[in-house]
Amino acid sequence: MEFYTQSAWLIPIFPLAAFLLLIALGRSYRTTAMLLGSAGSLAAFVLSLLVLFERLGPDAVDYSIRSFKWIVIGDYTLRLGFEVTNLTSLMLVVITGVSLAVNVYSAGYMKNDERLTVFYGYVALFTFSMIGLVLADNILLLYIFWELVGVCSFLLIGFWYARPSARAAAKKAFIVTRIGDAGLLLAILLLFWYMPGHALDFTSIYNVFHEGQSGVMTSGITTFIALLILLGAIGKSGQFPLHVWLPDAMEGPTPISALIHAATMVAAGVFLLARTFDIVSASEAAMQTTAYIGGFTAIFAATIALAQNDIKRILAYSTVSQLGYMVMAIGLGSVSGGIFHLFTHAFFKALLFLGAGSIIHAVHTQDIREMGGLGAKMKTTAWTFAIGALALSGIPPFSGFWSKDAILTTALDENPVLFVVGLAAAFCTALYMSRLFFLVFAGKPRSGHAAVKESAAVMTIPMIILAALSVVAGFIETPWNGWLSGWLSGSEAVETVHGGSSIAAMVASIGVGALGIYLGWLFFVKKSIGSGFMAAKLPSLLRAVERGYYIDEWYRVIIVKPLRGLGSTLAVFDEYVIGGTVRMTGALTTAAGRFAARLSNGKVQTYGLAALIGCIVLIAVIVGRRFWS
Amino acid sequence: MYEGVSFLPLTWPDMLYMAPELFLAAVFLLLVVADLLLPQKVSRLSIGWMTVAGLLGAAGFVVYRLIDLQGSGREVGQVIELLGASYVVDQFANLLKLVFLAGTALVALMALGSVKQDKDITDRAELFYLLLPAAIGAMIMASSGNLVTLYIGLELLSITSYVLVALRRRSSKSAEAAFKYVVIGGISSAFILFGMSYLYGLTGSVDLGDFRTALPEVMTSYPALMYAGFFFLIAGFAIKIAAAPFHAWAPDVYQGAPTPVSAFLAVVSKGAALAAVLRILYNSAFFISGGGGGGVKPVGNDVYLALLVLAAAAMLAGTTAALRQRQMKRLLALSGVANAGYLLVPIGLNFTTVHSSNVSEFIFYLIVYLLMTIGAFAVLTVISQAAGHEELKGFSGLYYRAPWTSAAMVVFILSLAGLPVSGGFFAKLFILMGAASAKAYWLVAIMVISSVISYYFYFAIVRQMFMRSSSEEESEIRVSAPTGIVIWLCAGATVALGLMPGLLMDWIQAIFTIRGDLLIGLG
Repeated sequence: MEFYTQSAWLIPIFPLAAFLLLIALGRSYRTTAMLLGSAGSLAAFVLSLLVLFERLGPDAVDYSIRSFKWIVIGDYTLRLGFEVTNLTSLMLVVITGVSLAVNVYSAGYMKNDERLTVFYGYVALFTFSMIGLVLADNILLLYIFWELVGVCSFLLIGFWYARPSARAAAKKAFIVTRIGDAGLLLAILLLFWYMPGHALDFTSIYNVFHEGQSGVMTSGITTFIALLILLGAIGKSGQFPLHVWLPDAMEGPTPISALIHAATMVAAGVFLLARTFDIVSASEAAMQTTAYIGGFTAIFAATIALAQNDIKRILAYSTVSQLGYMVMAIGLGSVSGGIFHLFTHAFFKALLFLGAGSIIHAVHTQDIREMGGLGAKMKTTAWTFAIGALALSGIPPFSGFWSKDAILTTALDENPVLFVVGLAAAFCTALYMSRLFFLVFAGKPRSGHAAVKESAAVMTIPMIILAALSVVAGFIETPWNGWLSGWLSGSEAVETVHGGSSIAAMVASIGVGALGIYLGWLFFVKKSIGSGFMAAKLPSLLRAVERGYYIDEWYRVIIVKPLRGLGSTLAVFDEYVIGGTVRMTGALTTAAGRFAARLSNGKVQTYGLAALIGCIVLIAVIVGRRFWS
Repeated sequence: MYEGVSFLPLTWPDMLYMAPELFLAAVFLLLVVADLLLPQKVSRLSIGWMTVAGLLGAAGFVVYRLIDLQGSGREVGQVIELLGASYVVDQFANLLKLVFLAGTALVALMALGSVKQDKDITDRAELFYLLLPAAIGAMIMASSGNLVTLYIGLELLSITSYVLVALRRRSSKSAEAAFKYVVIGGISSAFILFGMSYLYGLTGSVDLGDFRTALPEVMTSYPALMYAGFFFLIAGFAIKIAAAPFHAWAPDVYQGAPTPVSAFLAVVSKGAALAAVLRILYNSAFFISGGGGGGVKPVGNDVYLALLVLAAAAMLAGTTAALRQRQMKRLLALSGVANAGYLLVPIGLNFTTVHSSNVSEFIFYLIVYLLMTIGAFAVLTVISQAAGHEELKGFSGLYYRAPWTSAAMVVFILSLAGLPVSGGFFAKLFILMGAASAKAYWLVAIMVISSVISYYFYFAIVRQMFMRSSSEEESEIRVSAPTGIVIWLCAGATVALGLMPGLLMDWIQAIFTIRGDLLIGLG
């Protein structure tokens, strides 16, 4: 009974073992590396599936084990453990499934890279960390894995370190997400202090917050904690205003963009919000903020995607926008909507990235203006890409339609403004995807790629499987069958069918989706409206959108420059006041006379004076405070 | 000298309690004589190995005493107090002595591995055996129960350090650094003595045990004098600790000194001064602060606040100044300034009913700090030998020239930056949790902000190692055996503490009690 669930701790062990073996093997075992990496994620995937099937049974209860005492500080004990809930098991399948697909795909995509074994090692380490993040039974353990996936992401974005842009992107991603991480850490510290018995495990958090948290902490503190958790999610999931790292992260190898920066790690923020939903939902203000940040990000990033020309950047901004939908859904109180979209998005966005990788592999450019007419030459890529694009654009019966519809229906019921925003974002999504698709696959080749041919089977088979999933994954929750939300919330009672609003949302969402695709077709295939139309009418707006509304530039002016300035000021102090003496020493040729002269030039006295002034200031500030009042 | 106190002579059983210090002193004298008598052609490295052996022997005595104290099932307050409670052997002292001895032994090993490359050092033997009196000084500071003993330990440590800094005799930078260190050290001593004299004037005693009763009595009458006493004391020690704004000397001195000596200053000297502050304040300011119970006691609270302000200043100044630093020893010095800030937090937070694990947090952080700092300095000796300089760019492409050493360096940097899975993560986490439970949220915010800023320069090093391929095909870097031992001991322990922090934390908490092992003269 529940055998597989109880052995869920084995799931992360497989990729971890693969990682350790890959490190030990060294660089020469290339084929072994591919097999090991894939075998590790295959084993994890199979076990995750078994766990999921077990959880589908009628009376599955959440299983958690915390037998291992990890740290004892005073009267506080932190136990190490894992927990399997329905949400967890769903995430496990998504992570291990996409990881398996990417492992197999990389055998083709990366086969000529000399650091292939290192690549597989990093991917295995990432898979391990991501599984650990999902399985963690307390928020501190989650945080540790949260940081680990961040480190893996850093390593993989900068994998091609020879490019300066890759190095810069890796560093940017690491530092920007760290701002969010700091927020999460503060939230954990606050929880540690306010929770009864310093409990940090999710069960206790559920117990405290779910029952209206009767007087455990003030509503102000609850809101503060919820907002700090939201900050963590904003950093990791690329929400406005911390979204700037995600488009740059596309400097990493494309399979990595699919695995980390589309399907799994960036969804960790959404997962965090779902996991701590009891805290977030205890504060009305935090819920509102979550919903509006998500909604704003969805429309904001979708408009930027309209003006990009790099295929991966379009998909990256699209990811930011779709994550915005998920965050918005959670802010509107629909965890199942957010997780449902996370689930379908993982498949179709991974598919789109793998398709993009296949294209880049064939034509060696990422600029869609240089592509064109690829549909005839790369049939499998074109068909699977079309399925992914239709799913993303929200066209029935593909999976994205159902999940987006679930979110829009909730929005229509809860907040009409956000419904309109979501609808507008859906329109933009359909438009930029049709632009992307038609420019790449339709028409005539715009530059001579004579030798373009379809990618190898090792790359197309994962794409076909993901395409199949993108078609069917949506049917686990439809307006007339609320299976997923019932299963996720652990209750048999199926959510009330939305009726009128559901049909309205559905019609509207199909309408804008179809309109977006039609307009795209007019623009880029029929060319009845010139594609230079926007550039001619509103050149500055177009440029602003193309540059992502200059958010990076704003950061440079508001944050980076002042910080650099502070650093420089201190460095100048260090250089001239303190380091002055050091430079004056010159080389090892010191005549005794010069030595004596230098000693009396006052620098050491400066230090002494600084110490004395420091002491006096300290006294004046701290003691003076007493006598002042 | 003062009335009513007769000096108690040192008896033979007392000598046994001081075995670690006396043993080290004996080894020191032996090595000095050996250095004089041994013919020139005998390698002085043998003196280095004997230094390490001596340090380990002394550590053995300390471990014996520690187990003996633990096993004796003693009553609270039954501490070994020698010479009229001026010298105390309790578990606080024992734990810190182990830290200092381990740190000094690692430094000596590092010196064994790197001394040959430094042509500026003329007398290699001195680099080894002078570490011994310095270590004795640090041990005396950890064990002292009155201000005079404390001061003797401090000066023994300081004066030996001045000589150690100056050992690169052919380098004018070394001489300059030593000169600066002497002058600044003198100022520091003056501050400390000035502060001590006020405390003596107020209480009529130099015994820490007497402060507990005397200070509360005179507090309301002479608050100004008491402020002056405490603040000058703190300022003096802040210079030794290199907490901002008293840190200006540190980058210069670290840069000029031989690298193993820089590591010694960063770890042992800093640790000893912090231990002294902790011991003094818990025996004095604590009883005139809010934590001491009864009445409004502003002086003690202000003293603790001053420490927290120093801590915050050190963290911010250390990390921001390091942002533009490209000289590795200066960078590590500034990183040490920021870490001094962290170490001051558990001392300055004071002991309260809701937060009583300050001292174990402090010791845990000190141990982790020792491992990662000495490890990083050891890697630096390897790099600077290969590159011929100590700039950041010496690390470029290290991964391709010495993959294992660079892996160890990654461990040290993860730990310095406070990321899992490393000891540094938990060390910082414990202190953060302590600060959160004491509700010092402003301090928590500063700690988090400063560590976020610090990622910037720590990861610049990682980036250099992995992400910049060296222009020409360069040869493998060889690591000498003693340096390798230091690097791998430190890296292994750092990772082990990242996986199993509980083991060390439990152990510290099992053998240490505040009443029994920190307060003086309860017996």
